[in-house]
Amino acid sequence: MGEHEPSGIFEKTFDGLLGQDIYFWNFIILMIFTLAEVGAVFFVGIPLAAVWAILIGVGIVKGYGIAAYFMHLKGDPRIYTRTALFPVLFVLLMLWGIGLSNPDGVDALPGWCKPSWDYATNR
Amino acid sequence: MSGGEAHVENSIWMRAVVWGGVFLVVGVLAFATMGVGVANVKHHDYEEELVKYDAAKEVYYDAKNAYELAEGDDNTTAAELSALKTAKEEAKAAYDKAHHDEIEAHLSYLTWRTAGVTILLMCITYAAFLALGGFVNSIQPSDDHGHDDHHYGGDDHEHHGSGSPIVFSLGIMLFLMGFPKFQAVLGNMLSGDDFALGDLGVSMIGLTVITLGIANWWREDLPFIGNGEQIATSAPFEGQHLRKAGMWVFIMSEIMVFASFFSSYLRMRTGWCTKWSYDEGTCREFPNMVINHHEEHPDFVMTASDYLRPDGAAGTGDFWTMLPGAVNTFALIISSYTIVLALKTAKAKNWEAPKGALGKLMPTQKIAVRNYLLATFLLGSMFIVLKLIEWSHLVAEGFTIGTQAGSIFYISTGAHGLHVFVGLLIMLYLVFKADTVGYDENNGQGIEYFGLYWHFVDLAWVVIFPAFYLY
Repeated sequence: MGEHEPSGIFEKTFDGLLGQDIYFWNFIILMIFTLAEVGAVFFVGIPLAAVWAILIGVGIVKGYGIAAYFMHLKGDPRIYTRTALFPVLFVLLMLWGIGLSNPDGVDALPGWCKPSWDYATNR
Repeated sequence: MSGGEAHVENSIWMRAVVWGGVFLVVGVLAFATMGVGVANVKHHDYEEELVKYDAAKEVYYDAKNAYELAEGDDNTTAAELSALKTAKEEAKAAYDKAHHDEIEAHLSYLTWRTAGVTILLMCITYAAFLALGGFVNSIQPSDDHGHDDHHYGGDDHEHHGSGSPIVFSLGIMLFLMGFPKFQAVLGNMLSGDDFALGDLGVSMIGLTVITLGIANWWREDLPFIGNGEQIATSAPFEGQHLRKAGMWVFIMSEIMVFASFFSSYLRMRTGWCTKWSYDEGTCREFPNMVINHHEEHPDFVMTASDYLRPDGAAGTGDFWTMLPGAVNTFALIISSYTIVLALKTAKAKNWEAPKGALGKLMPTQKIAVRNYLLATFLLGSMFIVLKLIEWSHLVAEGFTIGTQAGSIFYISTGAHGLHVFVGLLIMLYLVFKADTVGYDENNGQGIEYFGLYWHFVDLAWVVIFPAFYLY
């Protein structure tokens, strides 16, 4: 947690507000968003898409708040942000390739991808 | 004393042994009051509710049979049938209430019992961790020149590198090699079956090596007051602290671990026919695809959120079932902030004691850092206790690791809980150092690097909590 000059709208707005630093305001915002996240499930009948939107939106804000300010990626040398983002490509590949693949993916593989494929008889 | 280190008397290590004793006392007291005292009262209540439930069940089935017999009897008048129907409905209402009360009493008993046992087990681990490490270091020969264990290979350049992680890793490897037999022996011991003590051998050697590695690591780090931090000399981290770069690379690997859990969950979840997906019309295979047969909801896969959410398919979720997970979410965020405050306080050049009640808790900078770390530690410990209470409730309600939904839930949240617990063990040492040598602007990076790990654990929960508890 190195010291640095406030940069960006969020920091310039909140740093020093009411005598509190950016970490305090980040904490307050995280608490408010968590409250919204937990509170959302008590509203029965919200469509799935809306729930997803709320959860993903809140997750992005909270993730940014923790990584940028508590983990101090904002203000630290860029190499740390790059290190943190390095696995993102693999994570996206995993989420897409495993998480969001067709549930029938294994059965629906093309013939040449299955163990029973035989070049001698199929070509 | 080499000039770049704090002088640490061997006697200081005895303080860790005393702390270990304190933890043991706290654990035993918590177990005696919560796990035995209150839990026994709750168990008595549960047994009473069980008797009421059995009686109500009998009354209901008698009333039901009487109504059904009367219904098939042509001699029964309409008034008699109506009276029997009313009696049956009243008996059903009483039966449902008794069933609800019996479940509530059981869960209440489980809450206290699990809390007591969990606190006891955690305190035993804390005590063993602190006391063993402290004891091993307290019996080391005193070094009049301060200890300079980390001057490896006669290198005159003082640095804060350590070989202890290698020893520690070797211990972990040995422990895991013997773990299958270790857990089998423990299982047999707990169930009273025969076991061969020799089967514990490899794991116990591993645990001993781990203890020695940790003790030596502490001995090297405790006197560290900021001099000799190793700096990377080549790209891409040139000019950066090696420990910080190492921590980020470690976190990078941790991101992959949790991403694999999450993508597996997503893959399974998109294939499941949950009530939610059925209501949304996205349940393609329904009703043919049946994965988890649940007594009351045979057609849907029941997820943890179905038990925990207020409108979950299990029908048992309400404000109270969501509470442990919700409280834990807030606890982790607060603990992230308290560790930020610990670091901020340690690094402050012109620190002033806060006014009012907070000032009494934190009269000096050193005590303030320790207390912020202690608060983080207590919040993390609460997280583990609440998590296990929640698990005990879920298992009691039938959501076990034997189902697909249960296995991914318990493995993912369990892996996260394990990370929290390992963090707590590390934090114990941080609290000990804050109480003895202390942290300041020169050596506060120890808190910063641990903080990165702790914030990552918080970050992982940001993903796990909505995915497993809310959706």
